Amino acid sequence: MNATRSLDVLEASIPRQPRPTRARRLLLSLTVALGLLATACGDRDGRTNASAGNGAGGADEVFTIGAIPDQDPEVLQRLYASVADHLSEELGVAVEYVPVTDYAASVSLFRSGDLDMVWFGGLTGVQARLQVDGAQAIVQRDIDENFHSIFIASTASGLSPVDDVAGLSQLAGKRFTFGSESSTSGRLMPQFFLNEAGVSTEDFAGPPGFSGSHDTTIELVEAGTFEAGVLNEQVWKSRTEAGEVDLTKVRAIFRTPAYHDYHWVIRPDVTERYGDDFVRRVQDAFTGLDPADPAEAEILELFGAEEFIPTDNANYDQIEEVARELGLVRG
Amino acid sequence: MRNGRRAWLLLIAVAFVASLVDAGAGGSGIVNLAGWPQLRAFLRAAAAPVLSADFLRITLDATLTTLSYAVLGTALATAIGVVGGVLTSQTWWATRTRPQGAGPSRAGRGRARRRQVGAVLGWLGARGALGLPRGVHEAVWALVFVNILGLDPLVAVLGIGIPYGAVTAKVYSELLDEAPQEAMGALRGAGVSRLKAMAYTVGPLAFPDMLSYAFYRFECSIRGAAILGTIGAGGLGFQLALSFQSLQYREMWTIIYALVAVCGLADWWSTSLRRRSSLPYTPLTEATGAPHQVPVLRRDRRLLASAAAALVLVTVALVHLRIDLYSLWSDRAQRLAGDLAASSFPPELTGEALARLARVGLETLEMSVVATVVATLGATGAAFVAAATFTGPDQVRPARAAVGQVGRRVLALAARAVLLVCRAIPPPVGALLLVFVLFPGPLPGALALGVYNFGILGRLMAEVVENLDPRPVRALRSQGAGAAQSFAYGALPRTLPRFAAYGLYRWEVTIRETVVVGLVGAGGLGSLLALQLAAFDYQAVTATLVALVTLTFAVDIAGSLLRRTLR
Repeated sequence: MNATRSLDVLEASIPRQPRPTRARRLLLSLTVALGLLATACGDRDGRTNASAGNGAGGADEVFTIGAIPDQDPEVLQRLYASVADHLSEELGVAVEYVPVTDYAASVSLFRSGDLDMVWFGGLTGVQARLQVDGAQAIVQRDIDENFHSIFIASTASGLSPVDDVAGLSQLAGKRFTFGSESSTSGRLMPQFFLNEAGVSTEDFAGPPGFSGSHDTTIELVEAGTFEAGVLNEQVWKSRTEAGEVDLTKVRAIFRTPAYHDYHWVIRPDVTERYGDDFVRRVQDAFTGLDPADPAEAEILELFGAEEFIPTDNANYDQIEEVARELGLVRG
Repeated sequence: MRNGRRAWLLLIAVAFVASLVDAGAGGSGIVNLAGWPQLRAFLRAAAAPVLSADFLRITLDATLTTLSYAVLGTALATAIGVVGGVLTSQTWWATRTRPQGAGPSRAGRGRARRRQVGAVLGWLGARGALGLPRGVHEAVWALVFVNILGLDPLVAVLGIGIPYGAVTAKVYSELLDEAPQEAMGALRGAGVSRLKAMAYTVGPLAFPDMLSYAFYRFECSIRGAAILGTIGAGGLGFQLALSFQSLQYREMWTIIYALVAVCGLADWWSTSLRRRSSLPYTPLTEATGAPHQVPVLRRDRRLLASAAAALVLVTVALVHLRIDLYSLWSDRAQRLAGDLAASSFPPELTGEALARLARVGLETLEMSVVATVVATLGATGAAFVAAATFTGPDQVRPARAAVGQVGRRVLALAARAVLLVCRAIPPPVGALLLVFVLFPGPLPGALALGVYNFGILGRLMAEVVENLDPRPVRALRSQGAGAAQSFAYGALPRTLPRFAAYGLYRWEVTIRETVVVGLVGAGGLGSLLALQLAAFDYQAVTATLVALVTLTFAVDIAGSLLRRTLR
């Protein structure tokens, strides 16, 4: 340190020419010029920005949709880009899909009005409706009224398939991971069924993991980091059917009883912006998806659905009850 | 003194081992070999990053976003730093020195005392106001602002600007106080107002160092912006998290290389300025408490050119992010801020909640100890490898020395590259990668933080080594001492106390950072926070934040006590 200091003193003692102020003036004008140039370039490229939906009301305003990030974001991006196109065509308004990486953030953004309509899971839908008065669950897939979770285990764990909820008691003492903290099929309902089998979250070896997404749950159980985990049946089916899961390392051990899950929830204030019949028109845009039309068939396929059906808030009363019981919904 | 030092060392060793054991080591095993194929797949992808035009465009746009957050965050931090620094400096609150010969009357003395008490209270108040923002990690600030502003680039800018502003204010106040005060005193004595006196005396003296510190903050801001991205704020961190969630390892490497490039450039810029500035270690005076030399007032072309370039960057960033300050005052923001405040108070402080906070808080503390010790030990070794210049040529055997020197240069470059990659990968991503090969628990998160801070500390320590007076080592070498001997006797004794001080400073940073690995499930208060946020239980969130801030303050105090024994 002393060395540097002495060097600095040496350096500092070398007399320096005072800088002419002209150079400074030049620098300043250069800065301004570059700044203007940057402004011009920025305007030209016209990038759409996620914060576009911020201002006050108006019919020309973008209708923003979002989704909980429950699986492969690449798939989500492709899926919701086509959903946005379809809705835009059917509804005659600009529609934008805004990706979100966090379940709770999708609820917060729905509450703040950054997202007008969101594809929620059972739990996040309930949380969102409790935070936005008048928000409605409007439409869901055929499979969502009979949804299931799949418990999986690594083959090395010695866990074997079971037939009923009570059989889940064998998970006590094992390393176990849920999906996201806010997931219905990856946490809420599995935790409910585990409780029924007499297994609380303190009974695992160490605290339960929260992998963040259904795909990661498979990956971590396959890697043996956790001996068992639980995820959405649909993701399990599509990953295994695509041959992306090493079934010599991980296998399904239990399919839960059915419950209501995913659905679209819409904010009440959209009617002020787009007209009183807007909610019904959105509903129709989904229920009217036609498997005969190639573009619409692709949307159905990406959603893993045969068709969309109308739904309403009352369908999620059971979810709300369980969520209250587990402390995930309050008030 | 020496005994005190030994006692501390013992205490740290015990804390480290205890933390390591508690964090999972020594239990059913730490390493999960079965997960190696997954990690290997990730590492192999390093050779084949995705280079399609589409993805490069996404990466470029994300780079610009991360850069913009960092630039505007730093600008805000600097602004807060200047105002806060002035208001928290003793120079500002110093009572006016009386012109000599004017004996005070009794009434005058009373007034002077009252003024003095007011000054002390003002100084303490200003300092205290800056303590809180410093104790909370930028990710937590961002989580608060996302609830008020929604999807707005200001979330990231404020998230970075506020805590960094508080740190900057602390450093600026020290710089102002350490500048020679005589001229200031003279002007004040002559009745010149505080602001004017400061602007004409200590201000210009401290200016070059304040400016170069702003560039050091910029370097930190880039890493901070990347971390904010991983929790959803957009930019490179966001893209990295997206690619990771879909297990696109090759895409991840494209983004990692972009991060490395941006971090590397920022580091180089900031180092080159600090080297030229009169105080090479200004950023770390808070770590070492080293007294400053008298700053010399001079014009530095490079510093001014850099400042001009920074202005350009700010403009570009404002345009790129389309910053609209109006959203800060919008009705919606006010309504949401009101909602948030209403649902966050009072904090949940039941006995059960407190017991849990104590337990999880201990885990956080353990994580920080493991991370800091791993980082400091690793960095100490790496610093000597990374600093190419320190041993000097072997003057006894010049021919061998020439070959050895080339080898050392190559090795040094490699070490620098490793350090750069380590600090460019955001710790949440590092933690998720480590979970493949380590069993779950706080250890993967702690090690990820360790690796990240190893990258930061290694570089800072290498700078210390490079700036070491080469003469003692050279003298030893010329008398025939081997490289190892001259290193052990000529270099090591002079650097270790300094390194330890850096390590302690980093501990204070690490305890705050545990929150970001916790948010991805790596344990500690961060994981508790993730659960509470998922349940929208804001009263519990407030309690956890209070615990975090308390812990940070405790570590700050312990750290400064330890540093004092090191001096």
